[in-house]
Amino acid sequence: MVGSILLTLALAFSIISMIMYFLNYRGYKNTLNYGRIAYHGMAVLVIAASVFLWYAILTHQYQYNYIYSYSNNSLRDLGIFQLASSFWGGQEGSFMLWLLLTSIVGIILQSYASKRGDLEPRVMAVFTLATSFLLVMVSPWFKNPFEYIWITPVFVKVEHLNSQFFNLPFIQQFFFTDQSTNQGFVQINSELVSKLSAAGVSVNQFIIDGKGLNPQLLNFWMQIHPPILFSGFSMATVPFAFAIAALMKNDYSNWVRQAFPWMLAGMGVLGLGIMLGGYWAYEMLGWGGYWAWDPVENSSLIPWLVGVAGIHTLLVQKRSQVHGGIGKYAKTNLMLCVLTYVLVLYSTFLTRSGVLGDASVHSFVDPGMIVYLFLILFIGTFILLGFGMIAFRWKTLNENIKDEESLLSRELALFTAMIVLIASAIIVLVGTSAPIFGKSVDTFFYNEMHLPLAIIIMFLNGISLLIKWQKSDLNELIKKSTYAAVGSILFTILLVVVGGVQEIMIIILSLTTAFSLFVNLDIVIKIVKGNLKMLGAYVAHIGIALFILGVIGSAVYSEQVNIDLVKGKPVTAFGYEMTFTEYYPIENNTKYAFNVNVKRGNSEYKVTPKMYLSEFNNSLVREPAILTLLTKDIYLSPLGYDEGEQNQNQDSHNHIKLEKGSSTEFEGTKVTFVRFNMAPETMQLMSEGKDFQMGAVLEIEKNGKKTETELLRKQTDGKVEFTFFESKEMNLKIELENLAAGVIDIAFSNLDGSESQGNSVQKENNEILSVTASIKPFVSLVWAGVAIMVIGFFIAMTRRLKESRVIS
Amino acid sequence: MKNKYIFGGVIIVVFLGLMMYLFTQSNIEYVDDFNKVMSSEKIVKATGSWVKEKNYHIDNQNKTFSFIMTDEKGNQMKVIFEGTIPNNFESATSVVVTGKYQNGYFHAKDILTKCPSKYEEKTANSSL
Repeated sequence: MVGSILLTLALAFSIISMIMYFLNYRGYKNTLNYGRIAYHGMAVLVIAASVFLWYAILTHQYQYNYIYSYSNNSLRDLGIFQLASSFWGGQEGSFMLWLLLTSIVGIILQSYASKRGDLEPRVMAVFTLATSFLLVMVSPWFKNPFEYIWITPVFVKVEHLNSQFFNLPFIQQFFFTDQSTNQGFVQINSELVSKLSAAGVSVNQFIIDGKGLNPQLLNFWMQIHPPILFSGFSMATVPFAFAIAALMKNDYSNWVRQAFPWMLAGMGVLGLGIMLGGYWAYEMLGWGGYWAWDPVENSSLIPWLVGVAGIHTLLVQKRSQVHGGIGKYAKTNLMLCVLTYVLVLYSTFLTRSGVLGDASVHSFVDPGMIVYLFLILFIGTFILLGFGMIAFRWKTLNENIKDEESLLSRELALFTAMIVLIASAIIVLVGTSAPIFGKSVDTFFYNEMHLPLAIIIMFLNGISLLIKWQKSDLNELIKKSTYAAVGSILFTILLVVVGGVQEIMIIILSLTTAFSLFVNLDIVIKIVKGNLKMLGAYVAHIGIALFILGVIGSAVYSEQVNIDLVKGKPVTAFGYEMTFTEYYPIENNTKYAFNVNVKRGNSEYKVTPKMYLSEFNNSLVREPAILTLLTKDIYLSPLGYDEGEQNQNQDSHNHIKLEKGSSTEFEGTKVTFVRFNMAPETMQLMSEGKDFQMGAVLEIEKNGKKTETELLRKQTDGKVEFTFFESKEMNLKIELENLAAGVIDIAFSNLDGSESQGNSVQKENNEILSVTASIKPFVSLVWAGVAIMVIGFFIAMTRRLKESRVIS
Repeated sequence: MKNKYIFGGVIIVVFLGLMMYLFTQSNIEYVDDFNKVMSSEKIVKATGSWVKEKNYHIDNQNKTFSFIMTDEKGNQMKVIFEGTIPNNFESATSVVVTGKYQNGYFHAKDILTKCPSKYEEKTANSSL
């Protein structure tokens, strides 16, 4: 109840704040303070509601449906942060997280805007529209994390309930059993709750455990990936608000400068969030990659691509404003800032509305028609507001267009960079949206399309920094690029000769990437001595070049092989000697770790892939192990483990069917099934269901010695037993496994457990760990590249933050 | 004409063209009727569910994994996947396989399992 009240009040404050700010913009002087107070009131309420949700999670208050569904007691044993990450385990909570982060961003934004002229009322009026929509989303009518469990009747497993209350007389009528699994459930609905409270029992006393989280989400990266990603989403609201604010005033002189640091920071954070998601997939999911072009991954990439495209043209506009007027690409920039946020909303729509039901493993459940329509209303409002305002001001925006750019100008190079990034965004958008129309694209669609795009991007990445603003001299440009060009050609030759790279497109991509890398490195080295704060763009570009090199190495030149590791026996793969040494239980016997020694020359490493049966979804979870070396990762993903015990389904060659009168050989021993031995009264005993026995007479011949033995099938009180034959002299054991009309099943084995050789009938007693081993050259560059790029974004942000204070 | 329109226009046109072409090449349709799946010569995404009663089979030698899948109307087909059993397969509520029907089998190159984990507890409802 507390949580819902806090959120409903926050919604009221958000709307009041929006109205007050809007009135202030329309000229009512005295409403500014009310707007500010209401905004801060809203932010405090949202923070309080979030703290309350955390408190309820940490104190296991399973009367809330959300906490029952995404948390449980055992999470506490894994640490307080694991339990706290239940906060964003499901749909309601991830909206809540988004709202929380947006509210905090808004506090910073309010302070930022209040110091920059008359910006605050317009920016905050737009911003509070966004917070209002988010607050409606988590309000008691939609995806409220504080909904009580009995509002929509739920079946709760008996294990999650306190059994001391099962003797209450009325419980029986709410009790159900699933016929196929014999799992007992109690239906929790409002009727049961009122009966419970009449008996003096609270729901929280009755439900004592929750369903918990998917174990694959219980990982450090999954604790930080969602908050960082949603911070990026929240920050994407700000450039949108600045664009609308500029359109409202019809004054475009300051907004670019003011929005610029926010765009840089937002895209830096979003980029980091996307990368962490990829790293999590690489480390946890075991298929060996970090990017699958999955709709959920794609949908956060699209706004990032558009935002980064916007950064390039924002720079041109800001730069060209020096010459007066609103600058170049004003319409483009307004549209890109609007689109970045609209695409964040579209991303939410794709992943939360259930439209991608069949296409993604991640997609959340279909939330119902009302939420679906509300999400459409949410996006629709922001599209209409954004593009409507641009259309409304179209005339003014077209007034100040001046001279065109020369072919060799940085303006045109940056514009082209924007176009290429937008082309990439369109490709991902089309591919990701296809399932809405019942279509789907193969991942090669994305890969094939991005190869030529990446080549152009990398070329521009280098050349645009050598071209001067406005106009550049071709001869000078050639002179300046000589070092980088020669360096990159040498690098590529090295790659072809030593690395064995053969595909022409990859060679071209390597060439342009190396070119970009050398151009940027050259500039960085020159600048380091001079002005550190100018470093941002170059550092970011070096990061992206390293990232592309990492992608080339890890995606194109990755190799993989399935191997069976017999305990103690080394197997060589990719020049590494791998030996499975032992396995042992970890984490209170809930998981199994498998030690594998990896050896090459004098260096020896130990890696431990893990496997466990997850109670959460009753399935085997396989956790890969990664050995990170200087130039590559060795990636071991477990497939299965065979203890080598008798298992009729798997090791059929231990067992043999023998027909009456026929014989078989096992390590030089000839075994003949001579006859059945059945007493005359057996048939009758059998039909009366009494105890009886039947025998199979075998003749065993080894080294000329013959023995006869009889193996029995005994039935006592309905229980079946088989006897076996053992001979120390022959080192042989024959077990009877089944006896049917005319045929017997027998199993051979050696008594001393030594290995039998050269015979099809044998018993293996080897523990085998099957793994997929793969080698990922330079995959570390993927992570390092993105990290360096993000650092670049932040260096650039600090520089642009200073510039944003200037009001013209 | 302005340089920016020439540059921007050419790039966008080239890539849109390329995209359309590749889109039709890599376009895969979702089919939930196995009669259509079996008669189709294209790669499709067949959606249905695993027939639990008929179990699944893991062939360690050929590294394949096979099972029987059924659509909503009860049409069944055998699916062979060249790879290992996906995590969560046993608890999957529905399965999406990508591949082609040939020689009496559906050769899957990709399996997607939809698990009830993130979903509401529907299992209990449906069995009552």
